[in-house]
Amino acid sequence: MSDNRATQSHKAKKLIERMSKKLNRQMVGSMAACVHCGMCTEACHYVLTNPDDPTYAPAYKADRIRKIFKRHFDWTGRVLPWWVGAKSIKTDAELEELKDIVFGKCTNCRRCSINCPMGVDYATFNRMARGLLVSVGVMPEGVAVVSKDQWEIGNQMGVLKEEYIDTLEWMSEELSDEMDDPEAIIPIDKMDADVVYSINPREVKYDPRTIADAAKIFFLAGENWTMPSEGWDMTNFGLFSGDDDLGGAVALRLYEKVSELHGKKLVISECGHGYRSTRCEGPNWSAHSVPFEMESSVLTMLRYIKEGRIEVDKTKNNVPVTFHDSCNNARSCGLFEEPRELLNLVVTDFREMVPNRSENYCCTGGGGAMSMTEYTPQRLKSAKIKADQLKATGAKIVVTSCHNCVDGLADLIRHYKLGMEVTQLVNLVANAVIVPEKIAVEEAATAEKPKEVAVEHSLEKFKILVVDDEDDIRLYYTVLLEDNGATVIQASDGEEALKLAKSEKPDLITLDLNMPGKDGGEVFEQLRKDPGTAQIKVCIITGRPELRRLIYNRPVPQPEGFLDKPVDDSRLLYDIRKILEVG
Amino acid sequence: MSELLHFSENELQEYALLIMACVYTLRIIWLLHFKAGRERQAPTGQFRTNTNKGIVYSWMNIAMPWAMESTRKKAFFYAQFVVFHLGVVFAIGLSFIIPYAPGLLESGILTAILQAVIGLAFLVSLVRLYRRITDKYIRAISSPDDYFSLFLLAVWFFFAVFAAPNKPEQGEAVLLTFFILTAFFLIYVPFSKISHYLYYPFTRYYFGKTMGYRGVYPLAKSKH
Repeated sequence: MSDNRATQSHKAKKLIERMSKKLNRQMVGSMAACVHCGMCTEACHYVLTNPDDPTYAPAYKADRIRKIFKRHFDWTGRVLPWWVGAKSIKTDAELEELKDIVFGKCTNCRRCSINCPMGVDYATFNRMARGLLVSVGVMPEGVAVVSKDQWEIGNQMGVLKEEYIDTLEWMSEELSDEMDDPEAIIPIDKMDADVVYSINPREVKYDPRTIADAAKIFFLAGENWTMPSEGWDMTNFGLFSGDDDLGGAVALRLYEKVSELHGKKLVISECGHGYRSTRCEGPNWSAHSVPFEMESSVLTMLRYIKEGRIEVDKTKNNVPVTFHDSCNNARSCGLFEEPRELLNLVVTDFREMVPNRSENYCCTGGGGAMSMTEYTPQRLKSAKIKADQLKATGAKIVVTSCHNCVDGLADLIRHYKLGMEVTQLVNLVANAVIVPEKIAVEEAATAEKPKEVAVEHSLEKFKILVVDDEDDIRLYYTVLLEDNGATVIQASDGEEALKLAKSEKPDLITLDLNMPGKDGGEVFEQLRKDPGTAQIKVCIITGRPELRRLIYNRPVPQPEGFLDKPVDDSRLLYDIRKILEVG
Repeated sequence: MSELLHFSENELQEYALLIMACVYTLRIIWLLHFKAGRERQAPTGQFRTNTNKGIVYSWMNIAMPWAMESTRKKAFFYAQFVVFHLGVVFAIGLSFIIPYAPGLLESGILTAILQAVIGLAFLVSLVRLYRRITDKYIRAISSPDDYFSLFLLAVWFFFAVFAAPNKPEQGEAVLLTFFILTAFFLIYVPFSKISHYLYYPFTRYYFGKTMGYRGVYPLAKSKH
């Protein structure tokens, strides 16, 4: 195994040592079998959108890992490295280069794998390379932050238990009100339930309506169900980071909680990587045989309709929709037809995007790409192929069974100005579900009073300081908040923010982190340390979630809220109302 | 026939085959010493798929150009692949026919078929060599072994075309070159990318097993 090991950095040596433990027969086959035929090239969305750059080709990217394998584990590479293109990795700079390839130029979507005549599964050993880099501390900052959250807080968005329970209770109240039935609630930690429902923390943070929609469906189906108070996150950043230890630990948390509750079945909400991690990879990573059944909520909803447990009226969803196959659901777990079957039951105008099923293109936000902001420009450039695919359908709504895809698609729709909406099957089913007569009458009576009226001017008594260095964003927040009755003042940098906070004493500050001069972290600390401003509520809004460490590491009380950009109207208003305890 | 040609057609090939068999055996032992990954979860996907179907589909994949987008969209490239590999099979066959069943070549029909297929394979090898040199994607991933293996096969095909009539009395140079190249080929193959056919059953088996178990194989192709 010598390749001037003495000149190798400590991290490079460790990476090579650990590679030997990670290799299994499937991976070795994939490493040895590539014939450099180039058939995978045009399967990759990065190649299709960067036609002049051969470094995006799957075989080229795979060779950056394969070179190391050949140099250290394959005999021809050991004896004649230059002849077969074998090369070790020596410096930390080379590790950084490898990081940019395995994290920044591949979403592990597996489209190249299914197009390889030799059966080379590049996505699998790209994940292995990610794991090796993570094990020596080389990773994008976002990966480090999210992994830390999942290890320490138990979910990848750092949602605290109180926040989670609070959201469930809020959604539970909404459900009771909507159904006009005190029995219509979200049961938490109920023992011996037939269904234990696990969700993505994104639903708590950005999309609580999906929890309410799922609850409505479970209630109307008469399901004996529950949600766990802990170990509820079915997402698993171990899949993206390649860290099997994290993957195993996260999956085990969920399995153990279901067992503790004596749950009969774990239903996984619509999330591609969550489904794959929990349903397929978790038992492998944790070396744990799961004693209960697990299924995607797509199958659960489909079964409810087929069994007549809920009835739906597809005319309620009469806008043209298309469906995006999540890579993890489809190419890694074989979920192709069921979402379509369900979709056809709840919408009137379903249009396939082309290509679809196993040949669909990645949403371009997969593989954890949404958390790696340093690669955002190349991600959005590569999204052109997806944007064209969406546009060609003529649909107004794109449906997907994956939260990661929701974010990835929403981002590219905004970037390419497609004017489409992204939603999930649960939202469409909840909208199409026929509520029994008694409840429907009640609903009709309350329908006269739109929600907008109820929340309008709800911020009337409040003064809010908006701090952001970008004019457009300040304007957007200001208009939205003023439209809802708030008095808004603005600051474009940290110094001005501190000055206005002292003089104006706002009820709430929305604070950007990444600003020129005094950054949001410093501003936040000074606000908290100054007795005159310490009590002002703060909501951090950042486009770089990894910068949350700027807040975590400060010895002052935590802010009242966190929001990741981009923020939509309803989410911003919801969080601000929640922080200000309005409504 | 000279002693040298006789030796080249017989003992030399046997030694070369023996060496190849030994190296291949070591190669398979090396591959098998890595632990096979295990699936602990219950199968996913639809009932139309299972592990066995996945494995068979995966093995047969190469004979189903319609199955993968990459082969479906590149029909000409796929045709080249077929001709090229048929050429290899025919040239190997020729190396056995000449010493062990020369009578088969007397009618001229078989010779003509062999020459036609191997000749086409030679042309394909030139096309492939050109592609490897000029296509920026392929050039970026090519190693000296990739170029040499292709060059070696092109030269081997070339001599195979002229060796097919098996007329040592008209000059032994072509036959000698063909058999020496064949022996070199047999010894070199296990150390080169040409050994990919040894890995094919393994990689395809494991990929098919996983994908069949997870309901992905047979592939659900795009429907318009």
